[in-house]
Amino acid sequence: MLRFWPILVLLLGGLFYWGMQRPNPNELKSVLVGKPAPSFSLPLLEPYRAQYGPEMGVRAGLGKPVLLNIWASWCIPCRTEAPLLERFHQQYRDQVLILGVNVQDSEAEALKFIQQYGLTFPSVYDGRGRIGIEYGYYGVPETFVIDRNGTVLARHAGELSEAQLRGYIEQVLR
Amino acid sequence: MRRRKAGWVGWLLLLALALAQPSPNTPPPDFSPEVFEIARELRCPVCQGESAAESNAGIAVEMRRIIAEQLAQGKSRAEIREFFVQRYGDWILYEPPARGLTLWVWLSPLVGLSLLGFGLWRYLAGVRARAQLTASDVSEEEIARLEAELQSPERQP
Repeated sequence: MLRFWPILVLLLGGLFYWGMQRPNPNELKSVLVGKPAPSFSLPLLEPYRAQYGPEMGVRAGLGKPVLLNIWASWCIPCRTEAPLLERFHQQYRDQVLILGVNVQDSEAEALKFIQQYGLTFPSVYDGRGRIGIEYGYYGVPETFVIDRNGTVLARHAGELSEAQLRGYIEQVLR
Repeated sequence: MRRRKAGWVGWLLLLALALAQPSPNTPPPDFSPEVFEIARELRCPVCQGESAAESNAGIAVEMRRIIAEQLAQGKSRAEIREFFVQRYGDWILYEPPARGLTLWVWLSPLVGLSLLGFGLWRYLAGVRARAQLTASDVSEEEIARLEAELQSPERQP
């Protein structure tokens, strides 16, 4: 047995190397990626009703890629993400629909948040977070990237950086 | 006799009181215990190491509500589990099914034990072989000489 020690060392080294190459275990992969995004329609928050109608959601025939952003007013990273989303909404509003889903929140707090950050991209209200569970969400903020045909391209758990957001928008417009 | 009877009644009362106490692990009355039994097998997505039955996070509460609704619709336990697996993957289950890479995790104790058994068997076989070898190595003549030496009177003190 001891004659084979170089082979054992190599095997062990190989095992360690393989372990290091594994995808990040903390990265949360969505089972939805590559599958059609669950469709839904929820009441819009009050400031958006005049422009978009009473309800909005992900459905067939939108003809636009969608960035579905799940947020809550009590969520700290959402506060840095909101101005960023607003900026990209101003820039890409004709090509990409940025749709917010307010979850696990009170409507009054959500409205205050929208006013505070001057958010013009539409947000629907899902007080219990049921649509979040439908999408298999882990927490807020979380963003789902949905292409023109309604297929989920990616899920981003946690706060988006500007580069990441730009990357997703470029991916979806390609 | 009467004292004894009173004692009995006292004991019975005590027993009744003990039984009347709610046991500490019963779920809050809003959902049936079955909801919590199913939720116990599911992970709470926003928590660390807590099941959907234990957590009070909004998402866990909503998961329990979904379970209760689906039970009311007459869905089976397996169907409800499947509902969550379809949305979250096997990750949501506290006891992942034994297939793929997970199968190796289930099998590794068995593999380890059998390797250990094999090693022990090899070692013991070696020891036995060596014992037999040393016993058969000594020639008849040597044994005779040894015995003679042991019995020779001049060696005795």
